[in-house]
Parts: sequence; structure tokens; C-alpha cells
Amino acid sequence: MTQHASVPAEEFMPRRVTGWGRFGRLVMADKKALVGLVLLSIFVFAAVFGPLISPHDPNDMAFDMILGPSLAHPLGTDDLGRDLLSRLIVGTQVSLFVGISTVALALVLGVTLGVLAGYFGGWVDHVVMRYIDLQWAFPNFIIAVYLVAVLGTGLVNVIVAISLAFVDDFARIARGMVLSIKEEQYVAAARTVGASDFRIMWRHILPNATAPIIVQATVSVSYAILGEASLSFLGLGVEASTPTWGLILSESRSFISRAWWLGIFPGLAIMLTVLSINFLGDALRDFLDVRESRDY
Amino acid sequence: MYGYLLRRSLGAVIVMWAVATLVFFMLRIVPGDPFAAMLADAGDMEAVEALRRKFGLDQPMYVQYVKWFANALQGDFGTSIYGARVPVQQLLLEALPRTLSLASLSFVIALVIAVPAGLIAATRRNTAWDHGVTVFAFLGLSMPDFWLAILLIVFLAVNISWLPAIGYEPLSAGFWPWLSHLILPAIAVGTGFSAIIARMIRSSMLEVLKTDYMRVAQAKGLRQSALILRHALPNALIPVVTVIGIAFALLMSGAVVVENVFSIKGLGRLLIQGILNRDYPVVQGAILVVSAIFVLSNLLVDMLYSVIDPRIRYDT
Amino acid sequence: MKKKTTPLTDRQRAQIDADLAAAYDFDPRDPLFGLNREQMSGPRLKRRTVLRLMAASGTLTAAQLLPGMGAVKPAAAAGHGGGTLTCGWSGVAEIQTLDPAQINQVLQFQISSNVLGGLMHINADLVAEGNLAESWSVSDDGTEYTMKLREGITFHNGDSFDADDVLFTYQRSKDPNQSIHARVLNNVAALEKVDAYTVRFKLKQAQASFLTKALERSSGRAMTIVSRGALESMSPSQYGLMPVGTGPFRVTFHELGQGVVLERFDDYYDPERPKLDKVIIKPISAAEPLAAAMEAGDIQLIGGNPIAPELIDRFLENPDLVVDEKPAPGFQSLWMNPWHEHMKVTDFDKPMEELMKEKGFKVRLAIAKALDRDRYLKQAQFGRGTAAYGTINPAMGYYFDEALAETSAQRFDLEEARRLMADAGYPDGEGFPTLKLITTPSGRRESQVVASILKRNLNIDVELLTKEFSVGIEDFDTMNWDLRRAGSGGDYDPDDGLVDWMQSSSKFNGRKRDESKYPFGYFSEKEADALIDEQSATADIEKRRELVQKANKITSDKVACAFLFHPANILVHHKSVNYPAVSRIPGLVDLDRVTLS
Repeated sequence: MTQHASVPAEEFMPRRVTGWGRFGRLVMADKKALVGLVLLSIFVFAAVFGPLISPHDPNDMAFDMILGPSLAHPLGTDDLGRDLLSRLIVGTQVSLFVGISTVALALVLGVTLGVLAGYFGGWVDHVVMRYIDLQWAFPNFIIAVYLVAVLGTGLVNVIVAISLAFVDDFARIARGMVLSIKEEQYVAAARTVGASDFRIMWRHILPNATAPIIVQATVSVSYAILGEASLSFLGLGVEASTPTWGLILSESRSFISRAWWLGIFPGLAIMLTVLSINFLGDALRDFLDVRESRDY
Repeated sequence: MYGYLLRRSLGAVIVMWAVATLVFFMLRIVPGDPFAAMLADAGDMEAVEALRRKFGLDQPMYVQYVKWFANALQGDFGTSIYGARVPVQQLLLEALPRTLSLASLSFVIALVIAVPAGLIAATRRNTAWDHGVTVFAFLGLSMPDFWLAILLIVFLAVNISWLPAIGYEPLSAGFWPWLSHLILPAIAVGTGFSAIIARMIRSSMLEVLKTDYMRVAQAKGLRQSALILRHALPNALIPVVTVIGIAFALLMSGAVVVENVFSIKGLGRLLIQGILNRDYPVVQGAILVVSAIFVLSNLLVDMLYSVIDPRIRYDT
Repeated sequence: MKKKTTPLTDRQRAQIDADLAAAYDFDPRDPLFGLNREQMSGPRLKRRTVLRLMAASGTLTAAQLLPGMGAVKPAAAAGHGGGTLTCGWSGVAEIQTLDPAQINQVLQFQISSNVLGGLMHINADLVAEGNLAESWSVSDDGTEYTMKLREGITFHNGDSFDADDVLFTYQRSKDPNQSIHARVLNNVAALEKVDAYTVRFKLKQAQASFLTKALERSSGRAMTIVSRGALESMSPSQYGLMPVGTGPFRVTFHELGQGVVLERFDDYYDPERPKLDKVIIKPISAAEPLAAAMEAGDIQLIGGNPIAPELIDRFLENPDLVVDEKPAPGFQSLWMNPWHEHMKVTDFDKPMEELMKEKGFKVRLAIAKALDRDRYLKQAQFGRGTAAYGTINPAMGYYFDEALAETSAQRFDLEEARRLMADAGYPDGEGFPTLKLITTPSGRRESQVVASILKRNLNIDVELLTKEFSVGIEDFDTMNWDLRRAGSGGDYDPDDGLVDWMQSSSKFNGRKRDESKYPFGYFSEKEADALIDEQSATADIEKRRELVQKANKITSDKVACAFLFHPANILVHHKSVNYPAVSRIPGLVDLDRVTLS
């Protein structure tokens, strides 16, 4: 037993993810999930069509400094005379990109490790588990900070650091799923007809392990976004030419008491994005009947 | 039980060793020379080399590692490579009470918010109260702690001057100076955590209220408030105890960020500043102590859990 | 506690009139203002010299001759003695060290200047005057300085001060293992003890800046006197936190990140100083809390790093606060790597006409000319500071070349800059690569303004790379950079700007470059090298000024870097703090004459 709230992975029941139509109806019925969906759609829209809908060049100091919100600048201008809305839109792109790419990377690495460990057992399992246990002893954010300490700052390093910090979560879930599935009859059946290890893992085990992994991935995206914002805020994140939400907040800190919009909007952007993903993740958890995932 | 304790302690030591070793080598592979910076004003390569020798950075890495490890075992983590070159253990000893003060107060604040919120949500299930708590919990989970910290500074400390905006005063300077400097940072750290606890109390209260013995107690005609506070809550808190480990993890990662916003030179600020300056000895020392806190709290929580919940035994 | 105010006596009044008359008594056409080399040495003539030079530059007024002002020995300042002054040290999380051998930041020597003594100390006009040295004489060839030490001085630990302490400090400071300022003493051949209170420095060659640069207690640091006894009994890190010196205040508490507490040293050699009982110094790194603490009265004076420019207007609006602005001794610029393919100049030793034919030089000049310094100052510095065209700053007063703004090839001219870019083959920035600009976290904001100006004016894309100073300097030293935002503070003497930055052998000039690939770092010009050497050894002030300005103009015209601005030095304190003009030394925060009312 560890201190973590997650249910030992062995208890997860294999379950194929089906019935997305039913999930759609569930979202429509659940107010939280609906709000999450709408909010997230707005942010995704802003990220995808950023350059098209952005009212101004995010780096152009063309305007008066510290203008309050107005028709010309719906969210005002910053301390260097740049349009805040345009900067937040670019920030959306970075945040979502970091969120999705880190989780994708963590998922591939973690699931691979977990499946290998669970499937082969023995020393492979032993080595992987020792590593996972080591990482499991620390909160993900602290691990990301440790990794940035040794990798250095910058967008790529931040993505690598955060995704490595998430690897253990995915590996643990995947391993648990594999352990419970590999004794199932259909796996044994596949083996007797001579399917290769890879084929068994890929075609028979993985598809049945997706539910908890999807839930973990969703939650992880929101924590990756928070993590990137925190690192950028601390000066350990991406570069100043890239206006990310954390960086915008850190740069406008000394102007907030004179210009509330510089403090409120970037923070709201982070919070609403994370909130919308959490809302959706919660609905997903109910829908897929996954009891817990790592919440920090 | 004792065998288990021994094994867990050994495991903890190994984790600490592994972390320290990993960090030691990884720090030395990355570029960035702190000595060049220190001597920017003097511009003397001879002096840079002299300092490298002094800090042993001219030796092969394994020699550095053995020396560092031998010293660390004796509690000597070297000195900061900047300025007065203060011994790292002195920095850590100064930082530790600051971080622990902040973490403890955050924990108290989190409980003060979470317990009533969780109770209300559970006992008035599906009312506006319950939904309010749920929304609060989601907001708390989603709100970046550094943003809350900035807002607290700007709107409570700067504009209204209720509380000091930054810094730390030791308890020896008086209770109020100590407390007043910690209230805002503790709120910033504690709020997110209280969201998790509130959700947890809510669901475990619901479980407890469903149990047979609660039904019996209810049938015996106990007053509702007594029932909740004296019988249900203690039972509902058992699973919450298990998350004290998570509590520490969360409070510590919160503190790392929030200390930097409030200029409190605790372990988090020490760590971040060390990273930014590539002050190896400080980064190493800070990581070791932060890691030790996690490993020890994990261990402690496991022990605590076995005491509280008799169903769990470690005899295997 | 001493409470004493002295009204002006008739004798003092007469003295002021006489001083003024004497100072202005020169023929304006005489290049030496009636002074000669001998008058440049020794304490008494020094003062006359200073007054004369101030008069010549039109900066001398009767106010500066009031007791307690300028070069006149102060009697007393306004306000009572005693009390506790709480200061905020801006933009810094901790005071890393106060050991003069390790100090490398202005904000550190602002404090150590109150705790430690040097043989000399610069005054508010940036001229060196005696501190622990009572008087001194210079040999005719300018290579021997014989210093008579003040007697009856004690260290904070009770030890008395004599020539052996000067020797001890010298030995410690010239050893690169112990001091990061060893290089400052490179020109000293030997230091001799003549008797218990007399020492003699023998220089390898004459050095005009010797008193200011090597012996000064603040900016020079090298000969800031340390205590033998204390260094023997304390660990180096203890001494670094709580140094023992001969200054007006002693350190009674110092914890990193928490702050420093100074208390008055009762046995200070001047019984009139210090006035305050206690000084508390709190490092405050963020701008917002700093302003809040000041407005709430939690702190009454701000020292440390330059105050964030956005706060100054806010302080000016506050009737309880005094905002005192002076030129700061420093320059800031945009460095361009001459080995970068598109900005390449491999040889600066050519006449301008030749250089102007080179593609790389055209680009460099275009960038320098496109830097709209007025716009930069307005946006990045909220209008404070002076446009820069060279390293010699306005705080140096006498040496500063005001005309350079018009005569420099770097003068802002957008059309010309665009034409140069087109000539170089990049019309409207077409085909020009994205440049990476290395900056520090605190320089991030204003570096974005630089990037924006280059984008707007020349359509050059600039990407920022923020690196902590310690990490970025490594790239700078190895010439592994395109653009870099950097500059200097604490330049009190022309040598600080020229010798340290503009010579082929300058300390930042590609210190760790691959010399087989790069014969020099960012700049190398023979004529400038020679002029800088010559001015360094020239004691004649007028002659030196000429050489300094000539060298300065060459580095400007040939674009050693694109000079950006000279910062303003802004001291903010509460009305209740009486900060006398004599203590108002740009860059320093000397508290020995400060009182509270």
C-alpha cells in the first residue's frame, strides 16, 4: 500500500471503450461537462485559428502603454503597449501544445514501459518497477523542476521535463491493466494460435486497457498546462519571445495594482482551460467507470 | 511489523541515495559555468581556474562524486559557490523552518476550509450547498497557486495593506510577526489542497453515512449534529489521513512556487535560485532535503495508516 | 546620542565667498584652468582643484560649499542623531556577500561602503578624497604614491589600524585565489611600508585612475581595508556575511534572504558620524511589494538595484516621498557579434570609408542607427536616462561628451539605416536571418523593446534568449552569441568604461574565445587601444579628457556595439530621512551622515 489514493491497478477491470454516442448524451446532460466542453472549444478554436482571429501582432508595441479594456483592445494593452488579447491567443496555442505534446510523449513512454513490464515480468518488471517507485515518491511538479534543473530551460526542455515527470503514472496504470488482462482467456487463446508477443500486446491487451489511460491522459493535460505555467512564471519555462500565460503573468506582476486586467485575464485563461479539462475529465471518469487517477 | 519498518526505511534510504546520485551526475553534464559569472568583474582566467580547483571541479567526475558522497554522509554538503560561500547545510537549516512553517500553516488553513465544506456537501447532498462546494473544489484545483498568490499580494497587501506583502519573520521575532507574514502565502498554498480534501471528505462521509452502524445510531435517535461530529466524521477522516502524504507532496510543490512569489527563502526558493544560478552544491542540498521530506512523510503516513486502520497489517 | 546643529558662522560664510571667488579665478581660454600637475595630488590642493574644475564646467554653486556639502569638511547635517532607518534593497533576494574580495554587485558595495573603509573614497562629484589616508603625494613621473595614514583608527573588533593592515589587505587582494579583484592591482609593482603610518605604492606605469580605481573603498574594492584579526578568527563565509572593518557602522546581523542589520560604531574616527543608531536592510526582489512597503512606511529608503522604472512616477506622485535623480555611472548597449556571418567585420583597423564598403559593417551601423533611443527610453525606461553613444557616462561629468549625440556615426537616422540595410543586400530586412538576443531575466522587459524597435524599423526578427547572468556570460565569453544586451554600472572613472570594455585586451572581449578562429572578441581597434593606454597614464586632466573623448568617439563611429542609454540613478526616500547632498554619490548609499526627523 502506498500513500496514494489511486486504487491498486490490479483492481481495474478490462473494459473496451465503446459507446461514444452515449458519452455525448452524458455530456449534454451534465452541466459541468457541458460548460467544460464549451470553454475548451473556445480555447481550441482560439489556438487553431489564432493568427486569423488575433486582432493585432502579439509582439508589436504599437499602442499606448497600459490601456484599459476597450473596443479596440477588448482585454486592454500591456506595459509595453501590446494588445493583451492577441498575446493571450498565442499563449493558448503554446499552452495547449505543451499540454497535448507532453501527455502524448508521457503516454507513449509510460504505456510502453508499463506494458513491457507487465507482459514480460521478471527482471524487466523489476527494473521498471524500481524506477517507477523512485519517481512515484515525488510529486510530478517537483520532478519537472528537478529535470529542468538538469536539462535547462526552453520550450523543448520543458516539454521533455513535464512528460518524463508523468511517465510513472502511465506506466503504473498500463502495467496493472496488463497484469489483469494477460490471464484472460482470449489472450491465452491468441497465444495458442501462435500470435507474436507484440501482436498480443498491441491487438489484444492495449485496446482493453484504454479506459483508465484515457482518464489519466485527460487529467494529465490539465496538470501539464498548470506545470508549464508555473515553470514559466518561475523563469524556468519557455523563452520571452513566446508569450505564454505564465510568462505574461510574471512579466506584468509589477503593473497589476495599476492595471487589473494584466493580472486577471492571463490567470483566468489558465484557470478556465484547466477547469474545462477537469470538468470533462470528471465526466469521462464517470462514463468509463474509472475510479481514480492521479490528481497532482 | 518491525521487519516491514526496517525494509521501508532501507527503501527510503535507497531512494534518497538514488536521487542524490542521479542529480549529482546530471547537473555536471549540462553546460553553464557559475565561476565565470562570479568572476565577471575580475575577468581573470587564472582566478577561474583557481576556484575550479578549490571546488574540485577540475577532477574526474567519479572522484568528485566519492568526495561529495563521503562529505554528505557527515552532513557536509559543501558551500554555495556565490558571494560569501555560505555552507549549504547552514542555508538548509535556515530554510527548513521557513518551509515547514509555511507548509504547516497551509495545512491548517486547508483543513479549516475543507472539513466544514466537505461535511456540508455530504450532509446536504444535491443541494445548492453541495454544488457550491463541488464548484469551489474544481476552482481550487484549477487555479494556479502563483496566480492566487499575486492576487493576494496586490489586492490585500498592496492596495489595502492588511498584511505584509512579502518576507518571513522567525517565530523568535514574535508570534504575530511570524503569523502575519505567513497568512497570505499559506492561503495561496492551502486553497488548492483544501479542494482535494473537501472532495475526499465529502465522498468518505457519504460512504460512512450509508453504513449499517450509522443507520443503527440514527434509529437510536441520536441528534443529527452529534451523530455527524462524534460518529461519522472520525470514521470519514480515516481515508483522509491516507492523503496526508499527498498533502505534504502538494504543500511542498505549492511552497516551491509560492515561496518565490512571497520572497520567503525556504527550500523552494533556495532550490529555484540555485537552479537559475547553477549553484550546484545548493541545488544538490536542496533536492536532497526536499526529497528526504517526501520519503519520510511517505514512510510516516504508512505507519500512521496501519495504526489508525486495524485492517491493514504489514506482516508479509 | 549626539544632538547638534551648527548654524553658519561668519567665518564659514566668508570662506564660502572666498572659495567661490578662487574657484572661478581662471582664464577661460586656459586649457588647464590655471592648474598644474602638482595641484592634482595631496589633499589640500585637491579640493581647490576640484572646485576649480567644477567651476570650469559650470557646475559649482555656493550651495555646494555649504558646510556638509561638496568637498568641504562637514560640520553637521540637519536633523537629530539617533534612530533606526529601515531600508529596502530593491531587485535582489539576498545580499550574497559583503567581503570586498568577493563583491561583484553594486548593491553589495552600497552596504560595504558603510561598514568598511578604504584609503580613498569618492565624493559626490566622483572625485577621490582621503578616507583612511590622511594625505598623499605623487612622484613627478606619477609612478609612486606615498600615503600618510590616519592615526587612532580602530576596527570594529577593537584592533587598531596601521600600515600592516594595508599590507595585509594588499597581499590578500592581489592573490587571485582570494580576491576576484586581483586584476585591479596588476599595475602595482610593490607596496612598501615606510613607517607604521606611511605606505608607498610603486606602480609599473603612471595611472591616472589609480586613486579612484585601485584605492577607492567602494567601486575599486581591491584596497578596501579588511581586518587581519577578524579574518584569522572567523571562517571566510562568516566574514563574508559580517565583515569587520573601520567604517561608521558595524554588521550585527546577517542572514541570507532575511537581511542585514547595521549598528553605529561608537569608535568611528569622526566623532560626528554616524548619526543613526541602527540601519535595517531588507532585500525585496519584486517591484510591487517594494512600492507597497515604501508607501506604507515599512521602509524609508530604497537602495540596491535600480528601482523598476514603472515605480518612479508612482513615487513622484506621493508627497511623502523624495525622489532624487542623478546620472548613474554606467552605460547599456546592444552587442553585435562581428563574427556572425551577416554582421561580419574581421578587421576594424581601417579608415571609416573603407569600413563603409563592407556589407557586415553596413548592417552593424544600420542597427546602431535604427535604434530609436528616445522611443526606447520612453517605453523601456519610462523616460528616464540619457541616450548613449559611448561608454563614457554623464556622471563622469567632465569627461562626458555631450556633442557625441550629434557627431557620432550612430546618431539615429532611420532613412539612412534602411538605406544601409538595402545596400548590404537586405532591403526591408529581406533575406536577413532571425537574430538571437541573449538577455538576463531582469533585462527581459527592455530587451523586448529593443527587439520591437529592430522589427519595426529594419524588419529584422529578433528572438529573445533569457539566461541567468551566470549562464549567459559563458556564451558571451566564448563568442557564442548573435546579439547581447549588456552594459555596466559603477563606472566612476573613464578607465572603467574604456579599459574594461573597449580595448582589444578588455576583460569582457571574448575572454574564452577560440583564438585560432577569432583573433579578437567583439571589437579591436589599434588607434583606440593606443589612445586608451595613453589616457590611462595621463594625469593632466584636460589632456586626458581629450584622449578619452577621442577614443570614445572611435568606438562609437566604428560601432564596437550599438550604444543604448546611460541609466539614471534614482534615490527614493521618505521625507523624514535627511539625506545630505555630500552623501549623494551616484550608485552608492552612504548612510553615515543621514539623519531622521
